[in-house]
Amino acid sequence: MTKPNPSKVRLAVVGCGAVAQIHHLPAIAASERVEATVLVDADAGRAKALAARFGVPKTATDCRDLPGQVDAAVVALPNSLHAPVAIDLLRRGVHVLVEKPMAMNVRECDEMIAAAAEGRAVLAVGLDFRFFDSSLLVRNLLKDGLLGDIRRFEMHQGVIPRWPFATDFLLKKEMAGGGVLADFGVHVLDLLLWWLGDWAEVEYRDDAMGGIESDCEMSLSMTSGVRGTVEISRTRNLANTCVFEGSRASLEVGVWEPDPEIRLLIADREVSLAGRARRDGGSGLDFTDVFVRQIDDFAEAIRKRREPFVPGREGRRSLALIEACYARRKPLELPWSVVPVSREQVS
Amino acid sequence: MSLAAIDGALAGQKVLVTGATGFIGGRLVERLVLEHGAEVRALVRNLAGAARLARFPPGSVTVLRGDVTDPADLETAMQGCDRVFHCAYGTSGSQKHRAWVNTEGTRRVLAAAQAARARRIVYLSTLMVYGQTGDGDLDETAPRQRFGNPYSDSKLEAERIALSSGLPVAVIQPTAVYGPFGGVWTETVLRSLKAGRQILINGGDGMANPVYVDDLVSAMLLAAVKEEAVGEAFLVSSAEPVTWREMFGRFERMLGGGDRTVDMTEAEALAWWRKSQRARPRLIGEGLRIVKGERDVRERLERTREGVWLREMASTVLPESWQQKIKGRLAGGGRAGHSVDPDRELPIHPLPPKMIGFFRARTRVRIDKAKRILGYRPAFDFETGMDLTERWARWANLL
Repeated sequence: MTKPNPSKVRLAVVGCGAVAQIHHLPAIAASERVEATVLVDADAGRAKALAARFGVPKTATDCRDLPGQVDAAVVALPNSLHAPVAIDLLRRGVHVLVEKPMAMNVRECDEMIAAAAEGRAVLAVGLDFRFFDSSLLVRNLLKDGLLGDIRRFEMHQGVIPRWPFATDFLLKKEMAGGGVLADFGVHVLDLLLWWLGDWAEVEYRDDAMGGIESDCEMSLSMTSGVRGTVEISRTRNLANTCVFEGSRASLEVGVWEPDPEIRLLIADREVSLAGRARRDGGSGLDFTDVFVRQIDDFAEAIRKRREPFVPGREGRRSLALIEACYARRKPLELPWSVVPVSREQVS
Repeated sequence: MSLAAIDGALAGQKVLVTGATGFIGGRLVERLVLEHGAEVRALVRNLAGAARLARFPPGSVTVLRGDVTDPADLETAMQGCDRVFHCAYGTSGSQKHRAWVNTEGTRRVLAAAQAARARRIVYLSTLMVYGQTGDGDLDETAPRQRFGNPYSDSKLEAERIALSSGLPVAVIQPTAVYGPFGGVWTETVLRSLKAGRQILINGGDGMANPVYVDDLVSAMLLAAVKEEAVGEAFLVSSAEPVTWREMFGRFERMLGGGDRTVDMTEAEALAWWRKSQRARPRLIGEGLRIVKGERDVRERLERTREGVWLREMASTVLPESWQQKIKGRLAGGGRAGHSVDPDRELPIHPLPPKMIGFFRARTRVRIDKAKRILGYRPAFDFETGMDLTERWARWANLL
């Protein structure tokens, strides 16, 4: 990168951990609409190494001097820093794309939304799964009533992570805000709420024992009356699908890949349909494509002074559900985890 | 219960666990915290695997990123630790590197424990230090010998390093450990039986000597507190004899039955192995290596539907599934008596010669020493342990 390009949105990437390295910086490099001009990380060495790799001219160890230097920032810090850093930047007129989960709780979400209004800045939330073509297809199919009356849904999302964590913040309650529900759950619950509308009641169980959960289950009733279950795990490789059972047809969609298979089973018909969502003339998405879409949408929202595809108000929705889950938490009963201290000898 | 012997001996104590993201180490941490009120320090190489360690109350488990072969990481992790459980072993990189992690890692863990004046080091060894065992009773007086694979032979060397260190070391030699979150003798068996058929040598009447993970962990906890355990090695198995037929049969039942085992004599199994080696598809193997080397080509192939499938299955099924395609050339390997639809018949996993010997042996592992000195009392019979394992496996989407 040489001189700043006036037609591009000047970006700071704040937080140079794994998601910045793997997704944001490659997407920014591939985008026509943005350019990274500053990398910020408390670890100066990490920021400098990444700046050299991606040709970013400047690095910093804090956000103090960002206003004036950049138009916008991608905030990819540990979860507990999302709200304080985003609020500071938004108030000073810097547009913010904040990684998921948007914040630690709903109160922080509201403060971020208010700060964006105060600073007349765009606040976008990095719920990138909404940019999958499959996500939009499912939303449209459900909205158009293709399945008939939806009777129930079942979501199983679980992967044993192979993410190259730069730090251990996700293992700490005070920095992560929660366990797998806050980390993976925020993605799939956001999709579910986007697809089905708001929730009315929730029952929730997880395996935390004073710390943060690695497995959880919930029963949800939506305001539409539709009921279903959600299972989320970072200790198990689950189906990673959501199934909707309707009176006319059932739909199964992958929820953890940018280009998942979608299956439509028509009631009482022996032949079903399986395929992938495609935009006109488009091909299958990978995560870089998705992050390019996300950053381009953010840039367009800034340029055209419109709302981003996933504004703060939308990011708040899944967090409100997550907060309700934690408030209603019951222990997940896993018979093999019972500590056998009181167990009588079998033999 | 024998664990009463621990009687608060670990409460509030700082305990270092290596391998805490693993199957045995993970359950050990759970029990140390919840059952014994210990303060665990977990040395973890890969934070992605540490999710289960974050479930406990703040301060009860400290996750420290580091490597068992790094003296500086070990020094940090060992700070203030009274006791050490060394469960980590080489799981990545070349065989040579894994073996080095087993031996050099143990040496360095011991050095760090000595510097920190740890009162007890429990080293998790393996039955494999006795090499290829024979029929009949086996106890700790049996000669240690090489089995002939890098894992077993380096564990043998690591055990020797531990016992000759002059430090307060106790060695636990588990048999085939199974249970929730289990790898080799749980998940790998299930995956293997899903993908193909297991050869049962001589009808599977060799002895499996399975031990449920909680029994092993109990023995490890006892070895950490019993004074008489110092300088000793203890075989840890379950109380009752279980054959490989029973062991694989139980996993087969979890998968809803089917025809997932095949009986062979040793000679038949050896012939099957040799044929499978001769039939190894060299051209495709080379193609794979090319694909592996070219990132762009690989990624594009992986994104195809077949690519996704292959990637999922690669760890267990790949060579066998190809062998199945060319099984016309492998005539006469399986025994008669399996009148399964040939299109649906699962391929037979060939057993390397060493494993034929391993599955043949009618070795009965004695646990008298662990009972006598540690007060070890297995609490899980095969049925109970396997029932819990099945419930977990169903939950874990493995069935």
